[in-house]
Amino acid sequence: MAVVNPEFLQTLALSGQDAGAECFNCGTCAAICPLVDGHFPRKMIRYAQIGAEQRILENALELWKCLHCGLCTRTCPRGANPGEVILALKRHVVAAWRER
Amino acid sequence: MAELEKTTPLPAGNQAEPQANGSRTDGSQTDEPRVGVYICYCGGNISDHVDVEAVRERMENVPGVAVARTNMFMCSDPGQELIMEDLRSGTINRVVVASCAPSLHETTFRAAIARAGGNPYQYEHANIREQVSWVHHGDPATDKATRMVAAATGKARLLRPLEPIRVDALRRAVVVGGGVAGLRAALDLAERGIEVALVEKSAFLGGGVARLGRLAPTGEDAAGLVADLAGRVLAHPAIVVHAGATVTSFGGYVGNFKMEISPAPAGDPATGPAAASAQAQETGAPGRLADLAPGDYAPGRGVAAPLLASGPLALETGVVVLATGFADYQPRSGEYGFAEHPEVVTLPRLLRELAARDGQTGNVLLLDGRPIRRVGIIHCVGSRQIPGVHQEDENGHLNEHCSRVCCSAAINAANTIRESWPDTHVYEFYRDIRTYGRGQEEQYARASANKVVFLRFSAEEPPVVRRGTEADGFPLVLGVKDELTFGEDLDVPVDLVALATGMEPGPIPELVDMLKLPVGADRFLLEVHPKLRPVELPVAGVFLAGTCQAPMDAGETCNAASAAAVKAVSLLGRGFVELDPFVAEVNAEACTGCGACVEACLNEGALALEEVETDGATATRARVTPALCLGCGACAAVCPEQAIDVNGWTLAQYEAMVEMIVSDAPFASCGTCASRAGCGAGAETAPGA
Repeated sequence: MAVVNPEFLQTLALSGQDAGAECFNCGTCAAICPLVDGHFPRKMIRYAQIGAEQRILENALELWKCLHCGLCTRTCPRGANPGEVILALKRHVVAAWRER
Repeated sequence: MAELEKTTPLPAGNQAEPQANGSRTDGSQTDEPRVGVYICYCGGNISDHVDVEAVRERMENVPGVAVARTNMFMCSDPGQELIMEDLRSGTINRVVVASCAPSLHETTFRAAIARAGGNPYQYEHANIREQVSWVHHGDPATDKATRMVAAATGKARLLRPLEPIRVDALRRAVVVGGGVAGLRAALDLAERGIEVALVEKSAFLGGGVARLGRLAPTGEDAAGLVADLAGRVLAHPAIVVHAGATVTSFGGYVGNFKMEISPAPAGDPATGPAAASAQAQETGAPGRLADLAPGDYAPGRGVAAPLLASGPLALETGVVVLATGFADYQPRSGEYGFAEHPEVVTLPRLLRELAARDGQTGNVLLLDGRPIRRVGIIHCVGSRQIPGVHQEDENGHLNEHCSRVCCSAAINAANTIRESWPDTHVYEFYRDIRTYGRGQEEQYARASANKVVFLRFSAEEPPVVRRGTEADGFPLVLGVKDELTFGEDLDVPVDLVALATGMEPGPIPELVDMLKLPVGADRFLLEVHPKLRPVELPVAGVFLAGTCQAPMDAGETCNAASAAAVKAVSLLGRGFVELDPFVAEVNAEACTGCGACVEACLNEGALALEEVETDGATATRARVTPALCLGCGACAAVCPEQAIDVNGWTLAQYEAMVEMIVSDAPFASCGTCASRAGCGAGAETAPGA
């Protein structure tokens, strides 16, 4: 059970400009991503959108599979900048790790 | 296409038509039946299954047929020209077209006949597409088409020229309903010089829109819109407004309707003698009539209108525009926690709260002094209900339709909240987002930019509202299986849940009964055709405007209302109305005045007995009021003297059709064998066909 938390987006703003608010969950990013199967990076962006921080930390390792080729950012129909969201999530995970 | 046109030259010796070519001036002047048969390929729709050329050849054998032709599309200009040329040359004086259903093109061909100088009622239509090629194949299809076309020629031979019934039309209109649709229609009618009586059940003008705030997607102020329209209506010299009134009787026919209105009964707090106090209550002084003068605006109610003091009041009118509007769906007790938790409200209620705070801003939205940190809006409440999934209401109804306006209304509300009170977060729980119109998708994009979070549920697993615990920190928690988070169960703690309730047709059972209105499966009023005749009803002279027909937003409602007004004006424009002449006619010679037809008549007033003078003696005879006759034929069926018949559908014509259906004449000497007896069904196709 995940609990939504709108305050998470403000926390994430400390780690990067983009938080994926514009995303409408179409899945183009997951379809174009050449390296990782499953729903990456769409699922991570959805977790950020609803503020499910715990889910992001649980699945943090997935973030480091990303090589930042930029395909998702180039193809995103909403300009939600998925690659930048992944970068922001990486920064947040590192910071959250230190806090523990 | 031209090479497909094949013509049967007039066969010498064929009993009806003497001359082949050359001058036809003699023959064309007589009314001896010369039937032209025109058979359509329908671009393969018919000819893929019916051997159209074989049917044409067989028609050569049919008595009375002067010419038989085919065309790829008989409804095309060249196809119609075939018919018109034969009429102009005098080759024919009756027309049979065998093509699609008459509902599509009967009027097309009647009009072509009229343009060629013929009588448009000497026309018969054989439907060999829907009734033959779409449901039969091979030789049986060709044979059935043959018999149907032959039957049509049998009737056509007996068709007399008819004239449309002309009735004078009063240049007046009654508009029922004083919402935006009724106001718009009344104004448009009055601007074209039609006198309008506007009848409104409640004490206020403005209807459903008066209950709203900022309208999606433009952000226009609903109160301003209603005040503007109602102000112009109340000021217009050609419009009389009767508020607090209901329709209590209705009769007559197009151009000459008679309607009676009476003060709405007490009991309904919004109407009737109660209406006066409802107006007064707006000023906080119950019972004092004069406090709210007509023209004053009452927030959430509309513009106060002059009340019908006493009744009944008789109105005579040429047309009626129905603008009876919609009702908000009322959630069942317990539906998403409605009526169980005070924090669960309907979206219309939330919109009224937002309207009351129009222009205000702050950190967090306050309702009843309570800070609303998070709002959950649930879409499709009382809309798009699925049998077996959703619970029917107490009358066994489900709203299977999409109410169309709620997605935009919900997203518009979310934007208002996010932009005015940034610390109030909004969650939209939806099944599908349908922001379909101009400017609406932009509202959805704006909601994304405003960080409104969308969560998607399936109809089978709707969100569950439960009381929050202290640990939740919120009074309510919405539990949802969110499809956008890959089916994970999410908890959304909120301060307020708003239910985006759908639109239902307004409760107008008395009007439906009185005006004999057709109602669709969704219980909204049903137009004749959704595209070709979208604001008309089968009852001539009665029109539909706005949400009594289907869920619409305010703009679409005004479109529909203006369309209804234009249709009404064009009907009244000539000062008279022409009706099809397919009505009963009494043969006064044969009528004995027994009254059986009057008893059988289905439409009150269409048939009556009257005293007439014949040869110095007084006798009782039946008399038809053509404008009221439905042409049903119930009278013809019961008349013991066969003294009454329906023009265009006489008993003799029916008999001729039946005779031709069973006749083997079309199949005679088809060329395959020498038999003139006719081989009937399954005959080999004639060579060359």
